[in-house]
Amino acid sequence: MAFLEIDGLKKRFGNVEILKGIDVELEKGGFLVLVGPSGCGKSTLLNTIAGLEQITEGEIRVDGRAINDLHPSKRDIAMVFQSYALYPNMTVAGNISFGMEMRGVPADERQKAIDKVAKVLQIGHLLNRKPSQLSGGQRQRVAMGRALVRDPKLFLFDEPLSNLDAKLRVDMRIEIKRLHATTGTTIVYVTHDQIEAMTLATKIAVMRDGEVQQFGTPAEIYNNPTNLFVADFMGSPAMNLIPATIATKGNALSVVLQREAREPITLPMANAPAGLSAFQGKPIIFGVRPEALTDPEGAERNASNIATADLHIEVVEPAGSDTFAVTNLGGKPVVARLRADANIQPGTSTPLAFNLTKAVFFDPATEHRIR
Amino acid sequence: MSAVATPSRPAASQNASSGMSTKTLNRIVIYGLLALFAVFYLMPLFVMLVTSFKTMDEIQNGNMLALPRAPTFDPWLKAWGETCVGLTCAGIKGYFWNSIKMVVPAVLISTMLGALNGYVLTKWRFRGSTLVFGLMLFACFIPFQSVLLPMATILGSLGRFGVTLQNTVGTSFGLGNPTVNLVFVHVVYGIGFTTLFFRNYYEAFPNELIKAAQVDGASFFQIFRRIMLPNSLPIFVVTVIYQFTNIWNDFLFASAYAGTGDSMPMTVALNNVVNTSTGVVEYNVNMAAAMIAALPTLIVYVVAGRYFVRGLMAGAVKG
Repeated sequence: MAFLEIDGLKKRFGNVEILKGIDVELEKGGFLVLVGPSGCGKSTLLNTIAGLEQITEGEIRVDGRAINDLHPSKRDIAMVFQSYALYPNMTVAGNISFGMEMRGVPADERQKAIDKVAKVLQIGHLLNRKPSQLSGGQRQRVAMGRALVRDPKLFLFDEPLSNLDAKLRVDMRIEIKRLHATTGTTIVYVTHDQIEAMTLATKIAVMRDGEVQQFGTPAEIYNNPTNLFVADFMGSPAMNLIPATIATKGNALSVVLQREAREPITLPMANAPAGLSAFQGKPIIFGVRPEALTDPEGAERNASNIATADLHIEVVEPAGSDTFAVTNLGGKPVVARLRADANIQPGTSTPLAFNLTKAVFFDPATEHRIR
Repeated sequence: MSAVATPSRPAASQNASSGMSTKTLNRIVIYGLLALFAVFYLMPLFVMLVTSFKTMDEIQNGNMLALPRAPTFDPWLKAWGETCVGLTCAGIKGYFWNSIKMVVPAVLISTMLGALNGYVLTKWRFRGSTLVFGLMLFACFIPFQSVLLPMATILGSLGRFGVTLQNTVGTSFGLGNPTVNLVFVHVVYGIGFTTLFFRNYYEAFPNELIKAAQVDGASFFQIFRRIMLPNSLPIFVVTVIYQFTNIWNDFLFASAYAGTGDSMPMTVALNNVVNTSTGVVEYNVNMAAAMIAALPTLIVYVVAGRYFVRGLMAGAVKG
């Protein structure tokens, strides 16, 4: 039995269904990230777990106990908000201990708990300040302290890093990951940033329009997307999704990619998924991540199925750690990820290697994965 | 090179000086007009003030605008403790306290109710909350005169209920008392405005703070008292100033529901001082009485005025 179980959760506002039957579960000590574009219902889902919004149908259980009809304060949860939601009229210590005060914890116990949390988060010197006198990162720490001090069964984070600048965001991300590793708490985390999702999660639920598109480990989501949306949403730069057709050469299937002003590329598929044979002569979407399309020297040596083709490079983007080359296949720009020192010039033709073991295929009509 | 540059120099300086003089002229016109209007606006206050420190002789024989030749505090003392209001001649001090007794509870109650309404209307939205707010706003548009008679009927009923209570329970709980009546009227009439002020202020108040407090286990009133109220100082001051000024200065309700007897408020008493038709009209005493009547609102503005401006601006810029 999982620690957090969400069964058939539905949420309606009038006739509008915001959440259309969510089924998710998380083991104790797990880190679940809800990720998706804005308006996908991820924050609503988090609010229903917190009890800040009522659910229409379904059940939410924590540690085997149904909590969906309990008041937020009775659910044994703590929440970190996007704006941190620190009470501006109280000091940092007051903010951290407000919940305990409301539950009638004696003053000396509160002081002990404050000191303990302040030590963990290194905010001891800030305890007597007001939130307005803190920097963004310090506010973030205090907000986490307020959650930590409750020692709850479940932590909820609502886009906690989106108000920080880029550098601080990376620091705090590591901090949260360390916190999770050292305290072993169970966390549900909402973000629209797929890098945060990949780096933090033990489980990811990719959401769109009130539905979970795919639920799995970060590696599953990244390498085995179940549909076009997940493939497109996760990963930066995004996966190349190229319109293609399937041709047969003897017994083997091959993928045909159109090029501008040149004959099409034909990539022989040695280990094509079984479902692909049904698409002979039909259009499909061929998905390949930028790192699986690279210079032949940089291609993975142990990959079993590599095909090389000459491609016309339109744009070169040196990004420091890598160099990205943009070409055009099937009428769409396609990004290849090369070594930083790759010798490549825009406007020339260069041989690039497709790592076809990592390639995925989608049915353009249903947007589902062809397996 | 220099030959070209030389003739251009006087032209440039001429331009600069003419530009300077237009600028100065503009300043003179602007400040002149401002001063003129300020003088125009302050003239009545000035006349009141100087007259209140003059003797009757000086008023009758001298210039209205002249400063008092021998300033005397007697008119103020007389207005406070001796002048006749109607038939009783014990000064206006009793009526001053009447007004205080009316204005303090009326302001506090209406402000607290407005804050509570604003809190509910923004943070605990219910079906039809916008409609309720719209109806409450309507209270701001109702002319005072139109509620005089219905209110009189209601106060009459409350008074009779008070008498019944007095006979059965032994206390009327203040029902039927003119001061209590006025507090009631001003609270009812003020709720529309105070609700409007607080609703608009709380509209910009972050909802996440309420959610955080809910997760922390705070109840409806705990959130109000611990989170909302401590963060409402600017709008609190605005509402208090607005209500205090309106209620203190009100004459219509005061004269309609407490127009006679010992419990009449300051404004009605002042009217009666001026209307008392025995002997000569003591302008200096009248002016002093009027100054005393105006003093509390002046003090409130001076003490809390900077919050007034800040409160009106609150929410305009994200702080």
